[in-house]
Amino acid sequence: MRTIVIILITLSLIVPVPAQQADRYETSVQQKVRFAQLHIYLDSGNQALAAYQFELKATAGQIKIVGIENGEHPAFKEEPPYYDPAAMANDRIIIAAFSTDKNLPKGRTRIASIQLQIIGDAEPEYALELTVAADANGNEIPAKITYEKGEQK
Amino acid sequence: MKTKILITSVLLGVIATILTGYLIVGCSSDQGGISQRTEGQSERNVAWSDARQQADSESQSKSVQTLPQISDESKSELEELRTDTGKTATMGDKPIVNDLVRSKRGSVYSRFQAGDREGARGGRGRRGYNSEGVLSSDIPPTSRESNIRYNQQLLIKGLEGRNLVLQRRPSRPSTPDIYSELATVTADEIWIIAKAETGKIIADEDTPGSGAMLAKLSEEEKEIPLPLKHTDVKGQISGYIATVEVTQQFHNPYDEKIEAVYVFPLPQNAAVNEFIMIIGERKIRGIIRERQEAEQIYQEARRQGYVASLLTQERPNIFTQKVANIEPKKQIDVNIKYFSTLAYVDGWYEFIFPMVVGPRFNPPGSTDGVGAVAYGKTGISGQKTEVQYLKPGQRSGHDISVAVDINAGVAIEEISCPSHAVTNSTVTPEKRTVKLNSLDSIPNKDFVLRYKIAGKTVKSALVTHQDKRGGFFTLMLYPPDNLKHLKRAPMEMIFVLDCSGSMSGKPIAKARDAITRALKQLQPGDTFQVIRFSNNASQLGPNPVPATPENIRMGLSYVESLEGGGGTMMIEGIKAALDFPHDPQRFRLVSFMTDGYIGNETEILAEVYNRLGDSRIFSFGVGSSVNRYLLDRLAKLGRGAVAYIGLDESAGEIIDLFYERISHPALTNVTIDWGGLKVTDVYPAKVPDLFVGRPIILTGRFEGERNSTIRITGRVGNLDQEIVIPFNPGDSGDTHGGIACVWARKKIETLASQATYDNNSELPEQIKQVALEYGLMSAYTAFIAVDSSRQTAGEHGVTVNVPVPVPYGVRYDTTVQE
Repeated sequence: MRTIVIILITLSLIVPVPAQQADRYETSVQQKVRFAQLHIYLDSGNQALAAYQFELKATAGQIKIVGIENGEHPAFKEEPPYYDPAAMANDRIIIAAFSTDKNLPKGRTRIASIQLQIIGDAEPEYALELTVAADANGNEIPAKITYEKGEQK
Repeated sequence: MKTKILITSVLLGVIATILTGYLIVGCSSDQGGISQRTEGQSERNVAWSDARQQADSESQSKSVQTLPQISDESKSELEELRTDTGKTATMGDKPIVNDLVRSKRGSVYSRFQAGDREGARGGRGRRGYNSEGVLSSDIPPTSRESNIRYNQQLLIKGLEGRNLVLQRRPSRPSTPDIYSELATVTADEIWIIAKAETGKIIADEDTPGSGAMLAKLSEEEKEIPLPLKHTDVKGQISGYIATVEVTQQFHNPYDEKIEAVYVFPLPQNAAVNEFIMIIGERKIRGIIRERQEAEQIYQEARRQGYVASLLTQERPNIFTQKVANIEPKKQIDVNIKYFSTLAYVDGWYEFIFPMVVGPRFNPPGSTDGVGAVAYGKTGISGQKTEVQYLKPGQRSGHDISVAVDINAGVAIEEISCPSHAVTNSTVTPEKRTVKLNSLDSIPNKDFVLRYKIAGKTVKSALVTHQDKRGGFFTLMLYPPDNLKHLKRAPMEMIFVLDCSGSMSGKPIAKARDAITRALKQLQPGDTFQVIRFSNNASQLGPNPVPATPENIRMGLSYVESLEGGGGTMMIEGIKAALDFPHDPQRFRLVSFMTDGYIGNETEILAEVYNRLGDSRIFSFGVGSSVNRYLLDRLAKLGRGAVAYIGLDESAGEIIDLFYERISHPALTNVTIDWGGLKVTDVYPAKVPDLFVGRPIILTGRFEGERNSTIRITGRVGNLDQEIVIPFNPGDSGDTHGGIACVWARKKIETLASQATYDNNSELPEQIKQVALEYGLMSAYTAFIAVDSSRQTAGEHGVTVNVPVPVPYGVRYDTTVQE
């Protein structure tokens, strides 16, 4: 019994150190954390795309958005898309962009790449809701939004 | 057996203890070294203390204990003293180089409001002013103009080969002596009295970190390869709102991966709302997050080898940029955007871009300050934030470019850049483009740009913005013209001079000039006191003394004896200035002359709030890169005003302007009738009094689309005054997308100011919520951007702190800890 007490006292001297280390890397020790990209595509068919807005949700897994990358077409390359900070503060990811270029994309184009932090082992699943796509005159146009998971380089 | 177990356990315990200590030291070393910090802090304090003790004792020995009262016979002698300011040598303004440089930038003001469907269909634009402007006739004629008219300038070749201007000043007319209105002044908004004018490309070998470094490298000067290559600043000014983009170019000149850390300044009222990390053609918009969360994401990305950047706010005017995993020979840019309102004084708008953080003094025992250490001495200050400074003779390849597009909405009459050499091109009468000359690109002093609009009119003072969150407005209120005819009350002038090490040399000489000028302008019936502080405070006498010629001479002698050296225990100066009984017969005015290079701003502001009483504080920033956040806040808390005195500027002119301001009463008891509008959340909540030459900016929220009329009423002396402003929120000519951010930033500032003296634990949470909702930087939020596309090879690499030159005119040896 006395031995156990002494060992416990000894251990108590050691424990604070790994505990301190654990605090520093809380997320990495307790939950696996990794980073990944999610490429967003919009297909506006024959219509020129000038503006869009969509909402991204994770239907499975836990994600945090850590960046929004610009699109591939020159019209959406100059500036990365905007996000709604008020929505973000309420755990909603609403992203939007517009372009005043004369040369606008038609068909399928990558409009953004979302930089994500994925927490935990579960592979996240995503849902996209296109709020609006518009042409250069501000008229709503039909479009289809899809995503592809980015490959790690 | 038991003995063996006991011995084993004891041995284990000893090993564990050693291991614990080793790991703790290891951890702390990784973060800067706890033990080293303490030692370094102590050493520094000793150094500051030793340097100051002699000056302190000398100054105290010259203190005057009791001085006689003023007599009527002395008045004429006093007037003689006052007018004995005949010749003042100042740096002459160098001519602005005219160069027809065409702006490549268009007016890109349209901003999509994420989540705003209307915005998605074309963006909401903003542009210029309309032709309305009831307030236009209320702008007073400029004192600066008057001074210019007074002066006969003679250009000569002067000391150190510089062009000097001798200004021959005529005797000033005696000022009326009763200003009862000032005795009841209340205000909670600052007023800019005058502006600093720092030198342009001045090669002064005695001044470490001065422009000498950019002219030509001497053989002894060594360029140090560093990760920060270039800073590019692009400003667009519309009326009194500036939209500024700052791009920092980080490049890894080494053969191994690095993390770059750069501590840099931005204007204290900057509403930072965009952050983009640029890797080649890829642009990744950063996300605003709760600070701790952003820091954790950054550390994890850094640990895993991802390129990431983090922007945090250390003070409202000091920020830290970190960029992780920059591979050898690779470049990563960071783009920051902010909105800010411009100061407006005497018909001049003023745009400021600070370029370097001045070396701060931190009181013993503090750890939350801003340390100033030599390049490579990471962690020795013991402060949470640390700035590394290049030694004299060292330089980095970091330079800066600045381009500002001005769209005044009305014809621009004049452009002035007293701090730097610039090129200035006219686009239209209302638009100008100003660019920093490439020969003046060392970032070691504030960039100060002013423009004067035609006549005395401002076309519009009201700017609005509406989106799904509702309506926002800013309203610039100008003081009525007729304030100039009234008189001031007798004053109790308290001059408080910062005599710390950072003020030694040119700054303290400039401050002495300013106090000397001010003493000579005291009126019969005024009293005065002079207080100095460094490691401690001492003063001219136990109490303020009447402004007799004899007393003023003693005061002048005392001021002349003061030198810079030692620490900056500003708290001692504040106690000495505010802790004695107020003379109810006089308007007490406390003037702080300082560069504001301290790290404990919050403590100082709290002390001022608690001790202020009926005093008014007028803060004078002396130097080329002063702590404008502290000086502005001191003046706001003290319901006074702020002025900046550049090292190559005439202190006399600034003081003359100061006296011009306090020689007239304000529009008091200001009330606003918003008409049919529903207006809420107006900042400042209490409308301050309006002084001559001092407009104020109100910002708030409104509901409704219909036009209305705003009526502002107040009293000037015994007269009622009314100002009428039409409110047309649908007028697209008076809209600006940045107004919502300006409002949110003002709300954050108000809450943060309250937090300095209010222990309400909900204030930080309130600040954080506003910042998150509007996507703004604050003490509790941060921007994070991670490139998740690839992991770089190997460990996260060495952390390289970007050192900066000490500000122009500041001595390295008295301010930087080695």
